[in-house]
Amino acid sequence: MESLFSRYRNLVVLLALLMLQLVGLAVQVRRSSSGESTLEPTDAGGVRLIRLWANAVISPPERLIHSSTTGMATMWSNYVDLVHVRRQNQDLEHTVDRLRLEQAALLEDARQGERLQAMLGFQQKYIYSTLAAQVYGSSGSDRSHVFYIDKGWHEGLKPDMAVITAEGIVGKVRDVFPHTAQVLAVNDSTSGAGVILETTRIRGVLRGDAVGQLEVVGVTADERIQPGEHVLTAGGDLIFPRGLAVGVVKKVVPDPDRDGLVDIILKPAAPLDRLDEVLVITSTEPRFSPEQEQDLSTSAAEQSAVPAAIKDQMKASEIMAEKLPGLIDPNLPPDQQPLHDSTNPDPATQPPRPLHPDEFSPRANDDSGANPEAGSTPETNHPPAASAGSGSGTKPSPKEKPQTTLPRKP
Amino acid sequence: MSVLSAQSRRDMEIRRYPLLVYTLVPLGALVLQAWLPRVAGRYEWFDLPLLVTVFFALGRRNPLQGTLMGAVMGLFQDALSHNAIGINGIAKTVVGFLAGSVGIRIDVDNFTIRVLLTFGLSLLSSAIYLFVARFLLGLAADWNWLTELLRAVGNGVIALVLFPLLDRLRVRD
Repeated sequence: MESLFSRYRNLVVLLALLMLQLVGLAVQVRRSSSGESTLEPTDAGGVRLIRLWANAVISPPERLIHSSTTGMATMWSNYVDLVHVRRQNQDLEHTVDRLRLEQAALLEDARQGERLQAMLGFQQKYIYSTLAAQVYGSSGSDRSHVFYIDKGWHEGLKPDMAVITAEGIVGKVRDVFPHTAQVLAVNDSTSGAGVILETTRIRGVLRGDAVGQLEVVGVTADERIQPGEHVLTAGGDLIFPRGLAVGVVKKVVPDPDRDGLVDIILKPAAPLDRLDEVLVITSTEPRFSPEQEQDLSTSAAEQSAVPAAIKDQMKASEIMAEKLPGLIDPNLPPDQQPLHDSTNPDPATQPPRPLHPDEFSPRANDDSGANPEAGSTPETNHPPAASAGSGSGTKPSPKEKPQTTLPRKP
Repeated sequence: MSVLSAQSRRDMEIRRYPLLVYTLVPLGALVLQAWLPRVAGRYEWFDLPLLVTVFFALGRRNPLQGTLMGAVMGLFQDALSHNAIGINGIAKTVVGFLAGSVGIRIDVDNFTIRVLLTFGLSLLSSAIYLFVARFLLGLAADWNWLTELLRAVGNGVIALVLFPLLDRLRVRD
């Protein structure tokens, strides 16, 4: 047995290693409900540990190389490559002077815009907490479009955070290590993001193809889709905020797998193959400057002050109602009552005299002068003429309250 | 390709390298493979871990060492990607074994043979990767054979420069 093993030692070791790796692969792959094999979305403990170890071994020298090359490039550009710098400096000084003047004008507009934006509640776009990170390495394989950044969970990074640049989206955080993180680029074939075409408003799913090109897949063929159209994030994937630049339509090709559908090839907005610095969106909660915070609090105080002001106005109207003179002044003769005031633009109209008056008809007893309050009710806004004419000699008692045309309470 | 007899095989020199070279060269290959694509952009048509595996397996003329070296390099590459750990591992394990086995039978001092071997093993590595990913695991792996061909050519060209440089590091009696 021993001689057999020593004779086929190489082959045995080869088969043992292959078997071990195959078993390891079988653990990582799962079969979905649709019958397709996919990788586990999150690494199992053992797999994650292997990635952590590999990262711990490779990252330090990789970061060292990155920082030294960056340092060398900085030294070269700052201390060696200084030809024409004096001329450029003069030109730049002129430009700075011109820009300062423009900036002064624009600054005031910008401040006003910020204040208005805050007050109008435009809080859902572009105001996020971000963390700048430097890209220092990649997976080293074009079959895996991932790259590494120099920030990890110690700096507050978590999986599925969006990674962007000023130009557009870049990817999402896939795996987080203590001081580094792995970012899955949007041009990987396993990546996915909801996008929308800017003008045609056609939605689709963004992913990468075999050669790392960005494409929007599974879009219904539409003649309106033309090269040059901008593509933005749709915001439905809960990773990328809506409205961020994705790229520009380069060409439209038929979907090789499905009839009637097309794939839209994009030119990425961000330089995905030459990334240096990226921003990780660590929070989608609005972030305001102190000035904006002050504007917001002022706006909120003004809003809360509105109901109080209305209440004060109502109270004032009640007080006014109490104090305003009634339309019936007991001290004035009937023909001088305010109702007969010709300056009143809306005098109370007198009810028509009934053709066949009876004892219930208003003003039926005018002539007799009996029952002067007939037909009047305390809540009537326009007191009947009978009431108005109740002063045909009879004065109300001093305790009686004069009626008013103003409502007692709304 | 000059095939050697059993006697000449026994007489062949087994190349030995300092322990530091066995450690630093594979580490350097892995680090550069991870870092260089940032400089090369989309023109990353090379596989330095594969080259190092082939170089040591051919030089040592030992299939066992080639197998182990290939497995370690492949697993590291998988661990740095977001793919399943083991696909590159299997591919490079087989490549290391074959390179070590071939190293016994052919004259590996010949540059042309080494470059051709590197080219062929690079294509084989890609084919094994595709086989494992698509057929064994059933993963939807996008593929572009032109890229794989260019990578094999790139590996051959780099081997032409890299192997003589690494040869200088061997221990001479």
